[in-house]
Amino acid sequence: MRWGMVINLVKCTRCHACIAACRIEHFLPLGMTWPRLIAWETNVPGEELTTLPVRCNQCKEAPCVEVCPAEATKKRPDGIVYVDNNICVGCRYCVVACPYQNRTFLSRDKDPGFFPGYQRTRFEKAGRKLYPHIAGTTEKCNFCMERIDAGMAKGLIPGKDREATPACVNTCQARALTFGDLDDPASEVSQLIKERNGFQLHPEYGTEPSVYYIDGKIGNAPSNTAPREAQTAAHMQHLSTMEARARQIFGKK
Amino acid sequence: MPSMATRQWMVTHEWMVKPMHQKEWIERRGVMIWIAETFTSLGAGLYLVSLFMNSWWGMLVGWLIIMFLKLPIHLAYFGKPWRFYRTMPPFSNAWKTSWFARGILFSVFFGTFAFIQLVIGQPDLANLIGHSVANPIYYTFGVLGGIFALGVGIYGGFIMNYIKGIPFWNQGLLPVVFILAGVADGFGLAMGIGLAGGDANVALAETGSRYLLMINVLLIITYLISAGYTSSVAKLSIQELLKGPSAFMFWVGLIILGLAIPAVVSVVSVFSGGEASSILLIIAIASHTMGAFALKYCLLKVGIYRPLLPKVAAY
Repeated sequence: MRWGMVINLVKCTRCHACIAACRIEHFLPLGMTWPRLIAWETNVPGEELTTLPVRCNQCKEAPCVEVCPAEATKKRPDGIVYVDNNICVGCRYCVVACPYQNRTFLSRDKDPGFFPGYQRTRFEKAGRKLYPHIAGTTEKCNFCMERIDAGMAKGLIPGKDREATPACVNTCQARALTFGDLDDPASEVSQLIKERNGFQLHPEYGTEPSVYYIDGKIGNAPSNTAPREAQTAAHMQHLSTMEARARQIFGKK
Repeated sequence: MPSMATRQWMVTHEWMVKPMHQKEWIERRGVMIWIAETFTSLGAGLYLVSLFMNSWWGMLVGWLIIMFLKLPIHLAYFGKPWRFYRTMPPFSNAWKTSWFARGILFSVFFGTFAFIQLVIGQPDLANLIGHSVANPIYYTFGVLGGIFALGVGIYGGFIMNYIKGIPFWNQGLLPVVFILAGVADGFGLAMGIGLAGGDANVALAETGSRYLLMINVLLIITYLISAGYTSSVAKLSIQELLKGPSAFMFWVGLIILGLAIPAVVSVVSVFSGGEASSILLIIAIASHTMGAFALKYCLLKVGIYRPLLPKVAAY
């Protein structure tokens, strides 16, 4: 079993909901962001503004695991790479060594509270009890492993049952994120990767990321880039489906 | 540019879209890494050179630099310095894969073995216990200390050279640059020990320094040329060094202070038929040491990540 994620670049509407959901789920301090949404545009006429949701790739051959001098960064049998903040010495070698730059060192100045200079809110205090963030250590996305573990203990299936699925995947209103078992050829993620030629970021590093991208082209990555018209059509169809769903939910015409 | 004007509402996030500098090890508290790495070179280099010249005072100063300057500064950089023991066995077996953990082990072993060697080699103590007893212990621990000093001097190069995302660092030559620069620094400091009345042979140190200077010039040129062939991001790092924001540190700090002035003093001493004057030697030692700081600064400062989006940013 190896958990992985597939991100549909056409469906992503750059709404930032995944980032907000992660912040709420893990009570992230202000200076800390686990998933990110990067955007860029070029001077080439006709080129659209492009976005790319990124998060820890949970690499199969993770450089951060290899370089950690305290073995604080660990890889679970299900492929999730996580940081044990009670062991981390805060040397930041992993932060520098991650070729995708998906780790953040939590210094004290990155954790001033939601209202710097004032007491922490009750929400923050409750959050710190549920999810303590230790200043002086490194943090990163962990595919919501607590949700996965708790869900699986109840017999739920991550990627199918919301309670066992990462918060960002649950919250994505465009259904651009898909989660599942990469080792299972019948899983939705494996099917998507196979059928739509999913690709990873910088495969030449040999890190074997568990996050794949489909239906888009990033730089000169070996993607399945559909023609622009097809991408636009797919996006429009998706938006109309969402509109229909919204009408269904809110009962408006 | 009408198409751009219509898109002004969206702010482009350039995080990892364009080549991005590493900041953790050079900015803000990261300055400590720069200083600690320089002391690593100076201390390990001085110890190795002094071991070669059998200079007890040189070895003592080298050991003091590592134990009381390099290690404390390195540990102070940690977010949780009091957990440093977790990087060593039996708490961690990370030395199997992590050069950082190996470096800490090298430092600890070096500190222990070199300390025993220095205590046994102390002239009064050696006389007291007898040279027939002291000498074998002295040389045994000298060899062990030398091996681990070599490790201390070179591990920083392996730490940086492992990082795949920064092509300028990801070069096989980097550890060689680290150790040879350290030995050159060691020869410079050994001259200082000799001038200060220590037991280092100034003429030998000067000769060694002369050869190391030539080797280091060739090594730096080779490094820059070979790194430039590897990727356009590495080329960008080289451009920054040669004519970008780090050019002052490179040309003034590394080339003029670190290489040219010591080389000129060295040439003067060759043509004067012996050693250069003490004042010239002191100037050479000071500028060489400043060059050591400049080298590490330049290397850390121009560490640039390859972007996530190769073609978009044209890298």
